[in-house]
Amino acid sequence: MNAKEELLKIFSLKLRTILGRLNISFDYLQEIRLRMNAPLLIVYENKEFFVTEDSKLVMDPARALVVNKNEIRETMEYISNYSLYAFEEEIRQGFITINGGHRIGIAGKVIMDNDSIKGMKHISFINVRLAHQVQGCADPVLPYIINKKYGEIYHTLIISPPRCGKTTLLRDLIRQLSNGSVYLKGMSVGVVDERSEIGACYMGTPQNELGIRTDILDCCPKAKGMMILIRSMSPQIIAVDEIGSQEDLEAIDYVIGCGCKLIATVHGSSIEDIKSKPVLCELVRKGLFERYIILSNIKSIGHLDEIYDSRGRRIYPFLEENKEKEDKLL
Amino acid sequence: MIVMKTIGSILVITSSAGIGFFFSSEMKSRIEDLKELRKLIVLLRGDIRYANTPLPEAIHSIARRHDGAFKQFFHFIYEKLSELSGETFSQVWKEAVEKELCNTSLLKKDKLDLIQFGENLGYLDKEMQMNTLDLYISQIEDEIEDLSKNVKEKSYLFNSLGIMAGIFITIVMI
Repeated sequence: MNAKEELLKIFSLKLRTILGRLNISFDYLQEIRLRMNAPLLIVYENKEFFVTEDSKLVMDPARALVVNKNEIRETMEYISNYSLYAFEEEIRQGFITINGGHRIGIAGKVIMDNDSIKGMKHISFINVRLAHQVQGCADPVLPYIINKKYGEIYHTLIISPPRCGKTTLLRDLIRQLSNGSVYLKGMSVGVVDERSEIGACYMGTPQNELGIRTDILDCCPKAKGMMILIRSMSPQIIAVDEIGSQEDLEAIDYVIGCGCKLIATVHGSSIEDIKSKPVLCELVRKGLFERYIILSNIKSIGHLDEIYDSRGRRIYPFLEENKEKEDKLL
Repeated sequence: MIVMKTIGSILVITSSAGIGFFFSSEMKSRIEDLKELRKLIVLLRGDIRYANTPLPEAIHSIARRHDGAFKQFFHFIYEKLSELSGETFSQVWKEAVEKELCNTSLLKKDKLDLIQFGENLGYLDKEMQMNTLDLYISQIEDEIEDLSKNVKEKSYLFNSLGIMAGIFITIVMI
């Protein structure tokens, strides 16, 4: 079964047929959105399209197929494998990861238990975000994060708004660092995959290629996971996705203190943006990270915008005036 | 003539006694089937409680490990669920109860209970699953206990009623 069929399996019979007939390449499909009594919508090559009943992409919502309650119910049944109870924890967080590493975001009526979220019912909004492996997408970044002098990497933070490919970049970085590249021999990498997005483990087996020296701790909270990995797998590099809490910060201090190198990602658009966030500003202030990689989707998804060093100097794209300043200093 | 009558009487008595024995053995095998079913539902509960296994997977593992009258029943559900044909879990479960349990000794009432049990599976959270499974298991246990209490008397009753009915019909006919 190929990746397209595997993905389509989660949709109701009717939607499966309609989406299956679409004349598009699934490699460039980013999102499929189902909302109750609203038109079926897809995001393809960064543009939004509505899908008609005869599988055509249109811009006019009036011509699109309207998703009804039954389609949502049936789709939800397939996503959860007829067993919503098995995804209690995931539903509480608002998303489920399925075979292939795709992330299904869900929204509906939230059930509260005292102050915490107990679950969700009447799920009426589904967002299927497709995970793509883009092997080689880390090629332009790799030379900038390697410290050739010591034969190791710099502590790196990837900053990017949602949908700009930060997890895709992280995944390829892990793969290349683990397998080894022309710049550096292979290193053992420990990945804490809290949302099963990086390795997309399905029943314990990673669906994405993360390299031959990679150990994955699946579905484990980041802060706890980093500690466990250091104690159990002695990694040289630790990679985590979407840091942000106070707990994460403490764990990062611990990781760096242990001599491990860290690669992390965070939601944001620039270093200034990160500085304005309550917990993360601490990270920048302390200068824990030695490289900041900033992505955007202005030109294309995952476009490498800028790279800064720990002192906030831009090292990519390299400015001539900076070079002159450095020359003078030398 | 007497030979014919004797042969006739023997036939009548043996067949009606046979009917009696059949009913009593059906009752015993119903208990056996209910015990088997309870064992499998307990296995299902264990899989859900400790490993949070989704239903199709749990059902498939039961179908693989088990070799009795219910193998085909669980296998059918697994196959049907894998097709993703648009039917809900309870519809598939109901269809399996109606199609695949003909060779067991379960009564119509047992099958109705089983269908009702299927309607609540997969629904809501884990706590709800546990409650549904526990409730059904205790329901089967009550049924088994009730049956076991009376099984001796009832099977004796069926056996003797069968023979007596045969003798009675023979006397009336002669």
